[in-house]
Amino acid sequence: MRRLRATLRAVAESILAAAIGLVVAGFILKAWGYSPISAYIALFEASFRDLYGIAGALANATPLILTALTFAVAARAGLFNIGAEGQMYFGALAAVAASLFRLPPGLHLLVALAFAGAAGVLWSLVPSVLRATRGVSEVISTIMFNWIGRYLAFWLVANVLVDPYRAEKTITVLPGSRFPTLVPGTDLSYAIFLAVAVALLVYFLLWHTVTGYEMRAAGANPDAARYGGVRSAGVIVLVFLLGGITAGLAGATQSLGRPPTYAVYSGLPQISNLGFDGIGVAMIGRNHPLGIIFAAVFYGGLQSGARVMQLFAGIPLEMVRVVQGVIVLALALPELLRIFRILRRRRVELGGER
Amino acid sequence: MTLGYFWSILFLSLHAMVPITLTAAGEVVGERAGLFNIGLEGILLLSAFTGALGAEAGGWPLGLLVGIGTGAVVGLFFGLVNAYWKGNQLITGVGINLFALGFVAFGLQALGTPGFHDVPRDVRLPAIQTPVGGLSPIVLLALVVPFAIHWFLNRTRAGLWVRAVGENPEAADVAGVPVELVRLLATTFGAALAGLAGAYMAISWMGSVTKEMAAGRGFIALATVVFSGLRPILTLAGGFIFGFFDSLATWIANIPGVKEAVPWQFVSTIPYIATLLVVTGVIGRVRFPKALGVPYRRE
Amino acid sequence: MPEPLLKAEGIVKVYPDGTVALRGVDFDIRPGEIQGLLGENGAGKTTLTKIISGLLPPTLGRILLGGEPVRLRSPKEALARGIGMVHQHFALVDDFTVLENIALGTGRPADRALRASVAELMERTGLRVPLDAPVENLAVGERQRVEILKVLSRAVRILILDEPTSVLTPVETDELFGFLRRLKGEGVGIVFITHKLREVLEITDRVTVLRRGEVVGEVLTRETSAEELARMMVGAELRPRGRRPVELLTDIPRERREAVRTGVEPVLVVEDLRVPAEGGGEAVKGISFELYPGEILGIAGVEGNGQTELVEAICGLRGGRGSARLRGREILGLPPLELYRLGLAHIPEDRWKYGLILSFTVAENSILGRQRSPRFLGPLTVLRWGEVFAHARELIARFSIQAPGLEAPAKSLSGGNQQKLIVGRELSKEPDVVIAAQPTRGLDIGAAEYIRDLLLGLRDEGKAILLVSADLDEVLELSDRVAFMYEGTFTAVTTPAELDRERAGLYMGGMRG
Repeated sequence: MRRLRATLRAVAESILAAAIGLVVAGFILKAWGYSPISAYIALFEASFRDLYGIAGALANATPLILTALTFAVAARAGLFNIGAEGQMYFGALAAVAASLFRLPPGLHLLVALAFAGAAGVLWSLVPSVLRATRGVSEVISTIMFNWIGRYLAFWLVANVLVDPYRAEKTITVLPGSRFPTLVPGTDLSYAIFLAVAVALLVYFLLWHTVTGYEMRAAGANPDAARYGGVRSAGVIVLVFLLGGITAGLAGATQSLGRPPTYAVYSGLPQISNLGFDGIGVAMIGRNHPLGIIFAAVFYGGLQSGARVMQLFAGIPLEMVRVVQGVIVLALALPELLRIFRILRRRRVELGGER
Repeated sequence: MTLGYFWSILFLSLHAMVPITLTAAGEVVGERAGLFNIGLEGILLLSAFTGALGAEAGGWPLGLLVGIGTGAVVGLFFGLVNAYWKGNQLITGVGINLFALGFVAFGLQALGTPGFHDVPRDVRLPAIQTPVGGLSPIVLLALVVPFAIHWFLNRTRAGLWVRAVGENPEAADVAGVPVELVRLLATTFGAALAGLAGAYMAISWMGSVTKEMAAGRGFIALATVVFSGLRPILTLAGGFIFGFFDSLATWIANIPGVKEAVPWQFVSTIPYIATLLVVTGVIGRVRFPKALGVPYRRE
Repeated sequence: MPEPLLKAEGIVKVYPDGTVALRGVDFDIRPGEIQGLLGENGAGKTTLTKIISGLLPPTLGRILLGGEPVRLRSPKEALARGIGMVHQHFALVDDFTVLENIALGTGRPADRALRASVAELMERTGLRVPLDAPVENLAVGERQRVEILKVLSRAVRILILDEPTSVLTPVETDELFGFLRRLKGEGVGIVFITHKLREVLEITDRVTVLRRGEVVGEVLTRETSAEELARMMVGAELRPRGRRPVELLTDIPRERREAVRTGVEPVLVVEDLRVPAEGGGEAVKGISFELYPGEILGIAGVEGNGQTELVEAICGLRGGRGSARLRGREILGLPPLELYRLGLAHIPEDRWKYGLILSFTVAENSILGRQRSPRFLGPLTVLRWGEVFAHARELIARFSIQAPGLEAPAKSLSGGNQQKLIVGRELSKEPDVVIAAQPTRGLDIGAAEYIRDLLLGLRDEGKAILLVSADLDEVLELSDRVAFMYEGTFTAVTTPAELDRERAGLYMGGMRG
């Protein structure tokens, strides 16, 4: 009962924050001379009205679920891992690299995914060790690794994995290691099931294993966790390990399961910012794997709707990220719902205590 | 020949130093007061954009003012949320970064060319002509600001208050210092300097606005604050080191011979690797204000 | 007799959580007099002085300054009216220099004029400190001088010192006393809060004794004795709610006490344990004791005398030197889980810091520290929720914990039920040794009695219990042996039967037995 009420409050806060985000972005649209109301109608019609719209939303949600999990797992354990972006690049490229050789279909997909997860972990290793042994802030180290990773990914695309016939992209992933398309004619593939399954697994890990219990304890009260015998270095390593895997898989869903391109292009246009957007999605989903699924679909819907909006109304796609930024800012306020009540009370009891 | 190289790399480094030093010196003030702003990256980007628009509307003086103003407004918001409403500083910072990323990309696209905007030459901040090339006046400013902040923090009563609210807000409160207000003003000042840095990048240094122009400099500035041990004058050294590696990348990439041998992508990672090494090296020896990142609540 | 500088009349203080700290206290401060304010923890000393110095508003009652009623809304206002207080926890900014701290406290810039006036003040008072040294490099006694200088540079007529000697070495204490006498000569009214009897007798002119929020005595120092003060401070009457008055402790079966002394092997042996203090120096200065099965060893003493550090070192949460052996095995430095496995349970003094994860549910909290025990740990570290719930239900039933549900967050429980949850969980570890630190603090009478009964029951089952409590009544009531802790050492180890309250008060006040 109480748990239900807490959940409802978290949901209500996220919805309120989303509303604030849309309203503030509406003002910005207005300031640039667009009509926010017709823009929003177009946006939501495009994204949630028919199967194609929904498929688009889910396709966009797929990588976001996974990068959001990277952030959420860390946040639950009291860490601020913003390294999903870089880890995701290497996941995408490692999955492509698996097509340098040939394996039976199906098995090839599994191997490519394993590559991706391993690559993500590899790229999270240094920040993880620096934090666990030297106490170097993961905020700075993961951001630096994102940038280092970005340039290395550029290099890998241009030099190592480059398509011998088309210099602007990597080799194309072999059909045997691709995710099958789920809704023909859309870019939604079976990768969405992977993302949802991983979210459910993470949920299971956090709330149904002792390991998850200890991670959450370390995040909720480090002193009590120490009293309860939790070793913080172990938690740190585990958090980065899991984060690396999910971020790596996020990248893989884009190179293996996002028709029509089964390759990574130079400049990383299809995958840039998926890691950062995942942070916002995690916050909207309140760092809960199930909340993240819904938040990712919501945000994915905004993205695909915005694409349509850009096409027909000429409103820049990036408007969506403005909405997301405002939502996150709204969520930074402690106990968002209470603010209205406090403001009301302030007016009533002027004076009060000192 | 060698001397020419020396001067050119010194000039490049000085210009690359400015955004990092200004942002870091400002953040030193904010962190000394107890607020940790990881939204600096976003402020740099936002104010680069608004600064460019301002310059195009009313010349470079307006551009600089708008850039500073943008930073100040964001800082004011950050301060309100965190000093007064005890919000989450990390989440607020992330929100600022996401918002800036979206807003600037949106604005650039709305202006016409997605992802890129050129600031016309005639509204850019005029450079001081020297025998070795043009020098932005902001470089000179950036060389002075850390000293001014050092003086402010250590020699004025307001500076004493700033340090007190970051180190021991209870003691400051008992002494009658308005803790929240001091924190708000300190972080606003810091953000305004980041705003100046952003405007500088757009209308003086680079002469253009791109989605990725901040390129992690906000975070490198945070690293510089760590490196400096929160001493403003050392942000000059930190800024110069990072500026040097930053320009080293540009410079190496243009040396005949090297250019072909070492991929430019590797060279581009130099500033970030340097940042990481420096932070790892100094960590543990840096003493942060005791109340950094901790909201102050009276018992 | 001169007119009082300040009169407090009928002061009542009720805290927002309902705690009544003061129940109508009259108090006055006279010029040229050092007045001792004596009392146990929680007697209301600090609350009273916080009200006088403007830090807290009184719930009822009024303060007269020079005969005029005043409202002191902040420490700043009190200072402006000549009332200065030096707190037990210094309000100093560690990385500021001395001069900067004084500047902050006085609202003046740290310039040459301030330097000159502080130098003059140091000259006049004899309180010397290096003005340009950062405070964090100073010894505690020097820091206190900075606090006093901060207050004195505001020309105060009333100086309140909260436990000023608790952090000082004997030499520093003597210096402070010399200074206070000089200040008294200048006509300043001084209030000296302490629980140390020797100092009261040495430095004060008059003593006011507080107990449970009331003034229980006001005497001239030259007309009283340590014994009388101790009696007033700890109270001679029986605990009204107690079911085992102290006098009956002799009822403990003689053979049991003999067994304690001679028969069985001790289960926990601590030898020359030393624990560093946070601010430098040692919080525990070489303590040794043995704990036997079937006994409660109580550690009495005013808080802050090293009890916390002692417990945390034994329980694996803090480093220490020396030795602590559980059944002959060295346990200093072992991780907490290993200690629990070896049969140690720890009821921590700070429920919210160590004891519970407030945002976790009752069920989740019921296994903290036991999460890896075979009962709850399935294959692949899967948590057996069924067992966890069953376990939590057992605790709730066995310890009559009032909880809205197994999935309610721990923060939704009352303090008493939170404590029962912790105690229940710790006992479910089936320990041989229970370390209980302040186990009844902040609990209502019913819950406190319940916990006390539980401890006695455990003792009768043959467990060894180390009870640390600042509540003297509690220690005397429950313990088979009592140790008195004072400034990191034991002043006496004895049995309650051989102890009267007066002696107990003396040992707590630092006299050695």
